[in-house]
Amino acid sequence: MALTDLTIVRRSLHARLFSTCVTALTVGVAVALMLVLFSMRDAGRQAFARGSGNMHLIVSRDASPMVAVLNGIYYANPPARAIEWAKYEQIAASMPFAFAIPTQQGDSYRGFPVLATSTEFFSDFEPNLGEPWKFAAGRAFDKPFEVVVGAVAARETGLRVGSEIFLTHGIAQSRQLGQADAVAPHVHKEFAYAVVGVLEPTGSAHDRALFTDLTSTWIIHAHDRRKLTDPSIRTTTEDDLLETDRLITGIYLRVASRPGRDVTALLPAAFDALRRDPTITVAQPVQQIDALFRIVSNIDVIILAMAGVVMVSSAISIMLALYNSMEQRRRQVAVLRVLGCSRPRVFGLLVTEATIIGVLGAAIGLALAVAGALVAAGVLRNAIGLVVTPVFAPEITLAVLTGGILLSALAGIVPAVMAYRSSVADHLKPLG
Amino acid sequence: MPESPVHQDATPALRIADLRFRYPGARPTDPWIIDIAALELAPAEQMLLTGGSGRGKSTLLHLIAGVVDLEAPNAGRIEVAGRNVHALRGPARDAFRARHIGMVFQTFNLLHGFSALENVMAALMFSDIPPREHRALAAALLESLGIERTDAAPDRLSVGQQQRVAVARALACSPELVLADEPTASLDPENADIAMDLIQNACRTRGTALLCVSHDPAMAERFPRRARLDDLHTAHLHAAAPGLAAGREGGEAWR
Repeated sequence: MALTDLTIVRRSLHARLFSTCVTALTVGVAVALMLVLFSMRDAGRQAFARGSGNMHLIVSRDASPMVAVLNGIYYANPPARAIEWAKYEQIAASMPFAFAIPTQQGDSYRGFPVLATSTEFFSDFEPNLGEPWKFAAGRAFDKPFEVVVGAVAARETGLRVGSEIFLTHGIAQSRQLGQADAVAPHVHKEFAYAVVGVLEPTGSAHDRALFTDLTSTWIIHAHDRRKLTDPSIRTTTEDDLLETDRLITGIYLRVASRPGRDVTALLPAAFDALRRDPTITVAQPVQQIDALFRIVSNIDVIILAMAGVVMVSSAISIMLALYNSMEQRRRQVAVLRVLGCSRPRVFGLLVTEATIIGVLGAAIGLALAVAGALVAAGVLRNAIGLVVTPVFAPEITLAVLTGGILLSALAGIVPAVMAYRSSVADHLKPLG
Repeated sequence: MPESPVHQDATPALRIADLRFRYPGARPTDPWIIDIAALELAPAEQMLLTGGSGRGKSTLLHLIAGVVDLEAPNAGRIEVAGRNVHALRGPARDAFRARHIGMVFQTFNLLHGFSALENVMAALMFSDIPPREHRALAAALLESLGIERTDAAPDRLSVGQQQRVAVARALACSPELVLADEPTASLDPENADIAMDLIQNACRTRGTALLCVSHDPAMAERFPRRARLDDLHTAHLHAAAPGLAAGREGGEAWR
């Protein structure tokens, strides 16, 4: 085996091991940052696209379509204004919908939102398009005071089929926020709910929710109302419900597709028809999610630009590392030249060295990115219940890695030119 | 010390003609640092060039090796093994140097981070010698020069052994000419003696010509042929001044 240029490069990297490692790490961090940002951006979009599933429209009395989507699908806050049952029936009958599912929010269990709804929520609504609900255990509720628990809520609370729970009126966290006018949350101690089902994870915000039927929710609020006037009341049943107790906060709608007509043609018509009613807010979740990401994408650009700056600065640090080592290596370069190594070959050696640092950095970056994305996904899931599956799109990953390596190679050019120009004679003399 | 064999009909290992050199940036009125009308070294011949420091000894060697360019207003012809070194450009000259010229330095200039064997192999990697022969060639050469720990890093070897590695490296490609630049300056007298024996014997055995520059007076007796660089210059000036284009046989007087 003869010596090769690669041997010389390897020895050179080895001789400056610390510098090599630190420089490669710098490149690695920059590459990782880029990869994670790209990955999270795509994964975040995917995560936000989850939850609306096969619904076409959401109706509520929130102030804006965006708020309607954030509240109705992502459980940001319980909608403040209710929709009367008569109004629901009017809307549901206004045109042929595949489903018109009433939803009501406002109660919670240990900080997890409770969505009161109808059984169609499980039979007709799909949280992700083409993926109906799956039960990890048990079944859907089919009578009052039965509750189904989302996957994350079940994991965090330890609830299982057969558990008995009491719901809290309002969201417990509002007390901590110190909102003076917020209704003080209280536990509906009189009404025990039985957990009858636990759902499989869907990757949507629904995983953090609990689901029960509308009637039981109406009953516990009617009970509160009745106790205000007569504290001696012990029980409230469905028979005690008044029309004003039958309130919901949102409607999930799916336009029925007629044979021979594309739903994309029906949807705008349905949307416009509903929008003519000034008392309700109607939103197309897909549009609102796009709008949300248009807003976020500005921040995206800034973050990507910052990652780019980190990338460039890491290239500069490669340049500096090689530049600083030039003093040490001028003699070596001179000796190689005397032995017959040509200037272009010396140039090649240094650019190769920088490129190898870039390759090492890219590898470190990829490893860091995969690990980092998993950590970030965990944080997002635990902190805001956003289920993000880090996806590294092959073409973007390849582009970032190649970019990192090319930038490193480019950074090797300055010291390589120095070595190219370096006078042999001057650096063969004795030291000192 | 036996007289070096001189074959008049063979191509000289080194032939210098009308060589004049000033460092780049020097004024046209400055004297030439090197000004040699003619100097010839027969195959396997050994010659000592003496002179104080700063008199251009190293520069002459660098010119011969072609690591310093000979550009206008500098002029002259330097042939090694019959090839005009400065007619070759860039990589071609480097390749020529790899194959035909070996250099030995005062500070050895061994490559750090490379074993003794690899230092010798480094000289072979720039030559046209087939790569698969490199390891065996280098090992055999080191063995013949008495280096057993060929895998040792140079800084783990004694100074004397380091010099052997440097000599082995200079001879690796069986060059026609070895240029030795103060090869004993960092050695004590005893080691200097050993080193010079080594260099001279190795060159003699391989039929390689040796041009050694040194200011060590003890070296003189080792070389039947020797000259002071200043005298080469002076002789040239006497023989040819002021016209520089005339024939220059004066240098040969110093054979």
